[in-house]
Amino acid sequence: MSTAVHLDEITKRFPGVVANDDVDLTVERGTVHALLGENGAGKTTLMNILYGLYEPTEGTVHVDGEPRDFDSPADAIDAGIGMIHQHFMLVDPMTVAENIVLGNEPRKWFGTTVDRERARQEVIDLSNRYGFDVTPDDAIEDVSVGVQQRVEILKALYRGADILILDEPTAVLTPQEVEELFRVFEELTAQGKTIIFISHKLGEAMHAADDITVLRNGKNVGTVKADETSNEELAELMVGREVLLEPKAEPQEPGDEVLSVQNLSAKDNRGIPAVSDVSFDIREGEVFGIAGVDGNGQSQLVEAITGLRTPTGGAISYKGRDVTNASRRSRIADGMAYIPEDRHERGLVMDFDLVQNGILGSQHSATFAADGRINWADARDHAERIIDEYDVRPPHADADAESFSGGNQQKFIVGREFEREPDLVVATHPTRGVDIGAMEFIHERLLDLRAEGKAVLLVSSKLDEVQGLSDRLGVMHDGELMDIVDPRNTTEEEIGLLMAGERPDTAETDAEPPVGDAK
Amino acid sequence: MSTTTIDRLRDTELSYRATLAGGALSVFLFIALLGLAFPSSIWGNFLAILTSRSTLSSALRLSVPITFAALGGIFSEKAGVVNIGLEGLLIISAFTAVITTAVVGPEMTVLGLPAIWIGFFAGILSSVLFSALFAVVCIRFKADQIIAGLAVWLIALGLAPFAATVYYGGVNTDNLGTTLGTWTIPVLSDIPFFGAFFDADPAVYMMLVAVPASWYVLNRTAFGRHVRASGENPKALDTVGVDVSRVRYAGVLLSGFLAGVGGSALSLGLGQFVGNNQTMVNGKGFIAIVAYLFGNYNPVGAFGASFLFAGLEAAQIRLQQVPGYAIPDSLIQTIPYVTVLVVLALVGRTRIPEAAGEHYDTGDDNR
Repeated sequence: MSTAVHLDEITKRFPGVVANDDVDLTVERGTVHALLGENGAGKTTLMNILYGLYEPTEGTVHVDGEPRDFDSPADAIDAGIGMIHQHFMLVDPMTVAENIVLGNEPRKWFGTTVDRERARQEVIDLSNRYGFDVTPDDAIEDVSVGVQQRVEILKALYRGADILILDEPTAVLTPQEVEELFRVFEELTAQGKTIIFISHKLGEAMHAADDITVLRNGKNVGTVKADETSNEELAELMVGREVLLEPKAEPQEPGDEVLSVQNLSAKDNRGIPAVSDVSFDIREGEVFGIAGVDGNGQSQLVEAITGLRTPTGGAISYKGRDVTNASRRSRIADGMAYIPEDRHERGLVMDFDLVQNGILGSQHSATFAADGRINWADARDHAERIIDEYDVRPPHADADAESFSGGNQQKFIVGREFEREPDLVVATHPTRGVDIGAMEFIHERLLDLRAEGKAVLLVSSKLDEVQGLSDRLGVMHDGELMDIVDPRNTTEEEIGLLMAGERPDTAETDAEPPVGDAK
Repeated sequence: MSTTTIDRLRDTELSYRATLAGGALSVFLFIALLGLAFPSSIWGNFLAILTSRSTLSSALRLSVPITFAALGGIFSEKAGVVNIGLEGLLIISAFTAVITTAVVGPEMTVLGLPAIWIGFFAGILSSVLFSALFAVVCIRFKADQIIAGLAVWLIALGLAPFAATVYYGGVNTDNLGTTLGTWTIPVLSDIPFFGAFFDADPAVYMMLVAVPASWYVLNRTAFGRHVRASGENPKALDTVGVDVSRVRYAGVLLSGFLAGVGGSALSLGLGQFVGNNQTMVNGKGFIAIVAYLFGNYNPVGAFGASFLFAGLEAAQIRLQQVPGYAIPDSLIQTIPYVTVLVVLALVGRTRIPEAAGEHYDTGDDNR
């Protein structure tokens, strides 16, 4: 086995920050190497150096045993390195084949015209060689995210990549697509390709990688073999202390009913029914979880409850009053907090600073605007309090929201919503995209609220999260609440079946193919 | 689930187009039937106008500046730069073409090239230079494209009549006494009605070549693909090693070139530049924007839309000459613009390039 990549004492300094500090990394040819670490640990910076996007402040990059000095990605591509970014670099209306050959189009007729037949054939040959399932003539916008990712990989391979870097490749995939991706990894390494993938998910690294290198605060804190380590060891390496991996809610007696949803129905933005006849209630000191594959009506249900979507039928009552058609503002004033699923779209205004973001939703309230004008001194104190208590890093209240990492943005939103002293918290995917340290923290806060006698509606596609935190668990499939189960006495398999739309009594009749695979 | 949704969207898209085509056809048939039934009614007159060769002929001539500006707009916007300065490019090239011809001397021939053709190319050159300025301001200095585009229009709108006043003492130039003339193809030009295609202004032939050529460049060449990628996802283009700025400059310069052909053809077809009010260009550059949106950035569709507007304009001019109806001229003159409004309401489905109007930063190593 030979060495494909060797990074030798790489240091990268940005003004005021050391992103990588004296990092060594060795990747063997034909293996899958996971680069594991929390958000902001320097993983992406390190890979951008390898890909020629950044110049290292100190240290050298060796590819295939030779020291290399990349000025641009073009140099890295020439050296056989391909990178698949977290956000795909694809042109949506163009076809799969057009995207793969973009910039390297085969020509005919003295170079005047793209040889579309040859391009198509080359794409077919390439995808057959690695067992990829892509149709060259599909438009990118018509294929699933999983297929788009395969197109990105093919794009790199088309340019002759031997070493593939993938930045958080699983972040946007469904569980089935993740499995498919890992199968692709095996196929690629079997043919001698080398894969480096960035992740902050322990399970994935353990599952898919041969070797795992953990970065923490820009330093390499250890490289281990996947089959010689444990989740606990990796978590400790990542965070630097022992971590409670599985949240556990101690049983407690719930109080009065806070929220009651009766026969609720709602349509999505295209006018297609998304929620049908859903009923449940949540009481004080209780976490009600909703599990389900994304896109089964959870978003529309939550929007109806929080006042962002008008239901087409049914009723919602909150603290004993009917709020089915109450405004969003009145619901906020009544102590309904909301952690939205898309923090960019609904959680924060990205080009506002944290002081401004901190009072979003409270901009009318007497606390910050007693005489109709916003009291900015109070707003600043408020933002600084959230930053302090919820450990938002870096602690700069004046920085724009977009300058923070996803995990820190999320911590700030969670802090803002919890600071409202709510009676009900509607939390959708509260830990999406955050690292395990922050995840543990958010879980603890949710359980604190519960201990204080607040009601929590928790929607998540992470089964271990909803299962561990909830007192009762509803499972949604295709807009319906399949069943409400006791998460402590139900297995993952049973919940998984409900998520797939199979009720125990009708298990044979209602099988559906997995969602998310377009072809 | 996602596939069925997409299929459904495609179906609605298709049925939308079918409805549009069907609607247009049934309106025409309705007029035709009414016209045949009552030949001496207003409908009869309207039918006679729509089916006359001279209407077709002037529709073709009138569609030249709109079509060329629309083709230019497509290249620019597809590359990611919204060029609402097309009107200004038409004005500047229309004026430069006439003034150059006048300065050279309308009767002169330089190196075997008649002065009017020298004026024609000078008009194109002025438009290209003007668009180059616009490109530098938008791409290099990242100015707002809408504001820069408006500036192009306003500068041209002020500059051309001003220069005419300096040279001629009035906002209109003198008539050159010569035009581009017509190229007549023997035999084919004798075909009734459609013969108008073979007995036309040289610029009409150029247009009939430029439309399919633009489609070919956009859809079949590597450059065309880079243009489309640059307007949809410039980052994708950058990461595969194509210089996004260069593609965008090329797109904008090409729009200057094409609009220049349209502007030169407009004024030299008449032999004069008219600088009153909105000048002789009179909103054609803006109608061109509607035309390419209506045509969904497809050169052939944009030509169809330009031809529709030009046809209505031609019909409206004829309709004014029909005596005996108490319809005020000013009302008839609004027909093309009312159509534009209706069309605008219908083009909600147009797919605008994702990154059109946005600046592109390579973002190398400067975070």
